[in-house]
Amino acid sequence: MNLRFLQVNWIGKGGGKMKNPLNKRLPREFKGEFAKYLSIFLFMTATIGFVSGFLVAGSSMIQAYDESFEKYNIENGHFVLDEKADEDTLTELEKEDVTIYPQFYIEEDTDVNGNGKTDSTLRIFENRTDVNKVCVMKGKMPKNEKEIAIDRMYADNNNLKTGDTIEVDGKKLKISGLVALSDYSALFSDTSDLMFDSVKFGVAVMTDEGFDSFEDSRIYYSYAWKYDKEPKNEIKEKETSDDFMKVLAQHATIEKYVPRYINQAINFTGDDMGGDKAMMIVLLYILIVILAFVFAVTINHTIAKEATVIGTLRASGYTRGEMVRHYLAIPMLVTLLAAIIGNILGYTIFKNMVADMYYGSYSLPTYKTIWNGEAFVLTTVVPMIIMLLTNLFSLVHRLKLSPLRFIRRDLSSQKKKKAVRLPKVKFFTRFRLRIIIQNRSSYITLFVGMLFANILLLFGMMMSPLLSHYQDEVVNNMIADYQYVLKAPVEVDDKEAEKYCVVSLKTVNGDKEGEEISVYGVQKDSKYVKWNLPSDGICISDGYAEKYQLKKGDTIVLRESYGNKMYGFQIKKIVNYPSSLAVFMPEKQFCETFDKEEGYFNGYFSNTKLGELKKEYVASCITEDDLTKISRQLDVSMGNMFYLVNVFSVALSALLIYLLTKLILEKNTNSISMVKILGYENGEIARLYLMATTWVVILSLILGMWISTVVIGGIYRVMMSDYSGWLTLYIDPKVYVEMFIMSMAAYLVVALLQFRKIRKIPMDEALKNVE
Amino acid sequence: MFLEINDLKKSYGNDSNRVEVLKGISFSIERGEICVLLGPSGSGKSTLLNVIGGIDAADSGYVAINGERTVDMKEKVLTRYRRKHLGYVFQMYNLIPNLNVKENIEVGAYLSDKPLDIDDLLKTLGLYEHRHKLPNQLSGGQQQRTAIGRAIVKNPDILLCDEPTGALDYNTSKEILKLIEEVNQKYGNTVIMVTHNDAIKNMADRVIKLRDGQIRKDYRNESKIPASELDW
Repeated sequence: MNLRFLQVNWIGKGGGKMKNPLNKRLPREFKGEFAKYLSIFLFMTATIGFVSGFLVAGSSMIQAYDESFEKYNIENGHFVLDEKADEDTLTELEKEDVTIYPQFYIEEDTDVNGNGKTDSTLRIFENRTDVNKVCVMKGKMPKNEKEIAIDRMYADNNNLKTGDTIEVDGKKLKISGLVALSDYSALFSDTSDLMFDSVKFGVAVMTDEGFDSFEDSRIYYSYAWKYDKEPKNEIKEKETSDDFMKVLAQHATIEKYVPRYINQAINFTGDDMGGDKAMMIVLLYILIVILAFVFAVTINHTIAKEATVIGTLRASGYTRGEMVRHYLAIPMLVTLLAAIIGNILGYTIFKNMVADMYYGSYSLPTYKTIWNGEAFVLTTVVPMIIMLLTNLFSLVHRLKLSPLRFIRRDLSSQKKKKAVRLPKVKFFTRFRLRIIIQNRSSYITLFVGMLFANILLLFGMMMSPLLSHYQDEVVNNMIADYQYVLKAPVEVDDKEAEKYCVVSLKTVNGDKEGEEISVYGVQKDSKYVKWNLPSDGICISDGYAEKYQLKKGDTIVLRESYGNKMYGFQIKKIVNYPSSLAVFMPEKQFCETFDKEEGYFNGYFSNTKLGELKKEYVASCITEDDLTKISRQLDVSMGNMFYLVNVFSVALSALLIYLLTKLILEKNTNSISMVKILGYENGEIARLYLMATTWVVILSLILGMWISTVVIGGIYRVMMSDYSGWLTLYIDPKVYVEMFIMSMAAYLVVALLQFRKIRKIPMDEALKNVE
Repeated sequence: MFLEINDLKKSYGNDSNRVEVLKGISFSIERGEICVLLGPSGSGKSTLLNVIGGIDAADSGYVAINGERTVDMKEKVLTRYRRKHLGYVFQMYNLIPNLNVKENIEVGAYLSDKPLDIDDLLKTLGLYEHRHKLPNQLSGGQQQRTAIGRAIVKNPDILLCDEPTGALDYNTSKEILKLIEEVNQKYGNTVIMVTHNDAIKNMADRVIKLRDGQIRKDYRNESKIPASELDW
């Protein structure tokens, strides 16, 4: 060895400070653990991309939706009268600082595929030019009486396009264009409906001549109103609309009174899109926290592996800050890259995907993509902060030990760590328990991650069976195949027909004030309503009891729909009637309560169609189709989403199991190598090391299912309280079996990969690392 | 006096398990000296080295370098002190596995404002041809030379070596000792070397023998021989 060539050259001379050479490890670390970082990166990118797309599309569409109120001059409310209002009445009403616009409509049976059968109902308006204006999405507005422009979503759901012909009340009409009616962004046929139905209900516009050509049809005398001066807030709006209703009631007979703030056809879309946003962001952050913990556990392992190097570097003068920054670099880089690429995908692919999803659910006008700074912060800055804080906390805690402790590989935080005493069980069992204890932080992260995945999976998998079950229950518990509500008490001769009375009242307190409750008065010894109704007090439907957490003996208070009169009832029985929130009482009690003459009725139950009832006397007829529309609509708008959630959850479980099992094997590479030297076979080693993980996975799944059920119960209650009506939470037991099978299948694939890894660990590994 | 150690005491454990590792050690070393700390296992020599290096704290007593007492330094100052003045060489090399030879030396260079030229150093260490190799592609001697390169590239005032030849064969050990000696001669670094190999004392300017945490012998080596002539 000769030092004669050794010259002291100072790099510092004008060359500036050299870059930290530890950074050169980063690309090699990425390359060495390519599969690990790629899977985390892809998962994070996809999630950030989807949420970013969701937020961008959502905010752009919400902006378009918000702007539509002004752009399309959306009403402040509308009312339907039993007859056309005369000029004097309208003049009187307009003295209340409102402008009234006639919005007459007809509702017609429609055959969309020309098979001669009625598939759906179209609500047809004359073209609107002043209020609730129409947005043409494709094609053009009708020019003559043989043309019709139909709602875009109704068209999509019934595979209709411009140029097609549909049969409306026997008339063949050509579709001139696809439109969005600004007051029907959600196709609710009635604002009290539990859910809209864009398959069997649609809206359309025709020319005045076209509209008039339906001479025999019942015209709904609907009038929209706009306040001359918009109320300042919702409370003021409610007061103003209540006052206006009182005046209106003095001048005409109201069939329907729908101020805008309760109109689901207008508001549901905005409320729903806003609600989804919060849920999506929370899901993203939970996922980032889980992945941050995966990084934290991985870094902990790396620190333990590199303890002596860290000790040496610290002893040589590297600061704790430099070491913290070094180990933080990879999680931060992965998150940053995922956030950037995720956002690019969010603005391109995912945005369109989400917009398609919204267009699949709502009849929204066209939108323009707008830059969303908030979405950028929420999907880039916040995930980076979560990643930074989680790992910083873990690293600072881990690296606060002295350099000497690192050099001695003495990394336990407690001074004296006693071995946990295990029960007297077989050697293999004890060995596995030791592995679980050694890797408890990995297994806790795995458990939490799998729990999150389980919650998502349960949600994704339970909805379809829940909807089917609801549909079956509704059909099985229908009072009658046809439930007519009459505008006037008309007698019929049909023996199937049974008279009943019904009135709509509204809730005055509880989760949702002003929710509509149908109150039925049923004949004594009814052949349709089989429950024994108490002579005093009432029965309520089980959905009503569940939603408002009512029980037998409680007293409920309801108010008139269009008035302030209050009614108090004592609950005597809760009955299985899932179709709606309803109250049942004997006819006699009904008449006494609502001040009706004996023998009063306003509806018929019947198992056959009452052909002799003229259309103009029928306010509505409820059939199986009406009662099952929620399940149909949810399936249409959410079906793909459920599938996506399922795939995402299983992939998340698989990813976490893969990453953490890999880590556990890496931690034990030396030991595995050593037991190989001792003569253990690969199968035996796999049984030792993988079986411990199998136990944890199975336990996580079982516990996870139980906890998920509780969590989903809570989330479901909150979610359903936003809807009118109630769908009883039902989780098909088969869902748990499917969940278990899917998660275990994902685990088996990972276990096979890890078994290959065990086989590849060489025996000299243990000899190389004798420190 | 360049390095002053005064009445250092250090013990581990508590109550009945208490073990006194250093029982009042005092000595001082001049700049540029090679000092060998000799002693059997458990004699306290590694603990003494760690206290001098500021990576372990004494219960009482102090270490002063150029009059600056390490005991008075807070952690940040202590780190800066190590960064500026100390180089470490361990028995097990502790190289960064996914950095190559040159990069491992750069890890040391980064800590200094005026590091040695790395390529020249690599040539001196006989590692220039191996500079692109990862540690697991090197022999034990080459790894230890890399570790020494990492320690001396920042030209520290004191080079602390903890059993630097403990894991090496005879010939490689001699190579390493020669290198340490040459570094000392060229740059005038003070070298403090812990070893249990009695033969190494012959290359030292100063020999301190420890047993049971106490200095049993402390003498200046008047018949110093070059590392190349050592034999054991």
